[in-house]
Amino acid sequence: MEISIDRDSSEPIFRQVVREIQGLIRSGSLPEGFRLPPERRLADALGVNRSTIFNAYRELKALGLVDAHVGRGTAVLRAPAPIPHAIGVPWRQLFRESVARSHDPIIADLLALSEREDVISFAIGLPAPELLPLDTLAEFTAELIREVGAPAILHCPTEGHSPLRETIAQWVAARGIRARASDVLVVSGSQQGLDLVARVFIDPGDVIVVEEPTYIGALQSFRVSGAKIIGIPVDEDGMRTDILASILERERPKLIYTLPTYQNPSGVVMSIERRRHLLELASRWHVPILEDDPYSELRYEGAPLPSLKALDENDLVLYQSTFSKALFPGLRIGYLVVPPVVLRQLALAKQGADLHSSSFSQYLLERFVREGHFATHIEKVKTAYRRRRDRMAAALLKDDAIGLEFAVPTGGFYIWCHLPEGVEQSALLANAAARGVVFLPGRACYPTEPPENCLRLNFSHASEQAIDIGIARFLESVREATVRGPAKRMDGAATSPVV
Amino acid sequence: MQDLRASDIREILKVTQKPEVISFAGGLPASELLPARQMAELARNLLLDDGVRALQYAPTEGLEVLREIIARRLGERLGLQRQPDEVLIVTGSQQALDLTGKVFVDERDAVLCESPTYLGAINALRAYQPRFVEVPTDDDGMVPEELERRLESVDRVKLIYVVPDFQNPSGRRWSVERRRRLAEMAARFGVPVIEDSPYGELYFEGEPLPPVASFDDADVVVYLGTLSKILSPGMRLGWVTAERSLLRRYVLAKQGVDLHTPSLTQLLAARFMLEHDLDAHIAGIRDVYRRRRDAMVAALETLVPLGVRFTRPAGGLFLWVELPEGINARELLERCLELDVAFVPGGAFFANGGHENTLRLNFSAMPEERITEGIRRLGTVLSSVAMAAG
Repeated sequence: MEISIDRDSSEPIFRQVVREIQGLIRSGSLPEGFRLPPERRLADALGVNRSTIFNAYRELKALGLVDAHVGRGTAVLRAPAPIPHAIGVPWRQLFRESVARSHDPIIADLLALSEREDVISFAIGLPAPELLPLDTLAEFTAELIREVGAPAILHCPTEGHSPLRETIAQWVAARGIRARASDVLVVSGSQQGLDLVARVFIDPGDVIVVEEPTYIGALQSFRVSGAKIIGIPVDEDGMRTDILASILERERPKLIYTLPTYQNPSGVVMSIERRRHLLELASRWHVPILEDDPYSELRYEGAPLPSLKALDENDLVLYQSTFSKALFPGLRIGYLVVPPVVLRQLALAKQGADLHSSSFSQYLLERFVREGHFATHIEKVKTAYRRRRDRMAAALLKDDAIGLEFAVPTGGFYIWCHLPEGVEQSALLANAAARGVVFLPGRACYPTEPPENCLRLNFSHASEQAIDIGIARFLESVREATVRGPAKRMDGAATSPVV
Repeated sequence: MQDLRASDIREILKVTQKPEVISFAGGLPASELLPARQMAELARNLLLDDGVRALQYAPTEGLEVLREIIARRLGERLGLQRQPDEVLIVTGSQQALDLTGKVFVDERDAVLCESPTYLGAINALRAYQPRFVEVPTDDDGMVPEELERRLESVDRVKLIYVVPDFQNPSGRRWSVERRRRLAEMAARFGVPVIEDSPYGELYFEGEPLPPVASFDDADVVVYLGTLSKILSPGMRLGWVTAERSLLRRYVLAKQGVDLHTPSLTQLLAARFMLEHDLDAHIAGIRDVYRRRRDAMVAALETLVPLGVRFTRPAGGLFLWVELPEGINARELLERCLELDVAFVPGGAFFANGGHENTLRLNFSAMPEERITEGIRRLGTVLSSVAMAAG
């Protein structure tokens, strides 16, 4: 495969690689099924960084020109039909500038891979399917239409179905958050909450502070908004607020994004001292905090800590939670609790984005929560998830020789693992996928300069039996890709520092 | 970010929630035509026999079963040959418009639109801060010479946005010839067309007209459809179909904004279409709306002596009224609200303002006798305003 690149060109090198390979495919020089050289080899041959080739291959995949399968490399799909009109559409010149920033398809790929029946997935934060309260919900839908009728499938206000807002306000009161129904904005899942907050607060070039590692979907939303994202390391007490202090002074961020409780992906709980310190800093520098709290209901041991929102005396915290984790994600309902002036702007943005969230989902949920089924359900899943967590931790310790490091989280969905030195992460991912097990590579959770040695394992979705099988497969793959060393289990209930 | 403009759709949704109001303001289907009972039954069964899928995450692109049904429907009903992987399920066509902005529109880019055009589209795209350039439009659609002139002269044109079937707000339907010429011109200039067609199936006579996308052999048209007007607006289900690599951009944008459209509503809609006759359901809707349009047209005829002009749409949900020059529809609305009658002042539908003597009337949501009564009240207010104006 002949590729030439021009280092002096203003065109980024990865685009040049894309253009060259695209040309070879279009001209038929690379036939259907042709395997592109492995990323590393091409990178070496061209004398460029490996991530450049990684990005180029991704782009080719996004263009539908090649298909990449973990373990089987990247193959040419087909020569596309010639464009019928002389001019056609110069799509690339028409796309927004920020579109170039938005093409990390890793979540979509993981969702797709996780759907396969022969694969045990620890990659996605999914609730356990067998615990879903299907009978109760089925009952409800019938009653719902009898009592409510057509409004359940008609429009509802952008801010949300009023009784649901009321119910949510009461629900968060139990978490120490004082809120009126009018402070609650119903959104189409947390992802929409992140997107709306970014739309309302962030102009291109603004700075957002996040934890490092952090939730992958948040990075995605913030990148598209054109924000400059700065990561603050997390240790066993949560975000390093001492480091935050200096960043606030230097960078004057627009927003601080945090998951203080059972953080995704690290599982860490921010200590009460850090929570207070964070609030104090935010108030001193007048920076709003977006507190993302999807997991706090899923507490397996230890005393609960108050949320930032509950501690907030200055109305600086935008609180967000969702029914996707403690209940189920398919209804796509999350919510924000925010000051009225912020709510108004978020609602206007939401109206442009999707008018309102599904009425049917909202009616159904409102009833489910109000009649106490949500509370019952949480107790049920907590018992099951605690067992699964213990099962996974035990399975991971079966082979001491591998040298994995992890801490057992006290709540939430994830075990965050550190691989021993010398494990090639993409080789591991490929090897594991070939054995029928997938996980989330840790690098996806970092805003910049990701370390290569960490990964996230979800323990809520797979059954205990599947956890045993899946972790055995996982350990096999690690063993194949590793230099042997002793297994270490960290002391205490929190995850090791990730810097 | 700049303050978003206070929205008229929002006010509309508020007003129409009061039962005593005779509302010509919404874009709502008639609520008695919603298959709520069938939906309840389907939802119950769905949760019992496919509940896990209905409540878990789904792929961003949408669930395969629904994409297949939509692709098939596009072929059978509109002659658009599409594979399921060329269909993206979205959370209502409002989301499709927003994603369009996310994929294409940077600040100061130009968006060409009809005059007047759909308010929801202006709202969705305005967040991306484009310049809206109105293209003069007559009863048959955008005037081709005017469109061509703008394609030649306007800087940074990113999109042409059109609603060719029974447009909201005007009720106008583009002629076949204009559709063909739009596709040809867009290909020649290399500018994508966003063809938004929420009302295409609601024709009152004859057959549906071929969409602009059916004349497109340069992959230049992005076609948007929805179930909001033919099944349920509250379920928030729509779709985008476009050339694959372009559609991929929409998928990635959607992933960042809401991961995916609710699985439950997707499966519910799919079941409805598999187990019930959607076409028969739509035929029922058409019959009701046709009668309501007739009632509104008849009532409006009595206002002609007051200088009122209006369209007689061959489908859809709306008709368009022009008042004598000098009468401001926003002021008229305030007077009408005192009599519990609501409509949308037409000025809101012009991307760059003006046209304050126009208004949009929805005829689908109210039964005939309330339509007659509402227009009578409108006439009362109008004659007193006309009298005061001398």
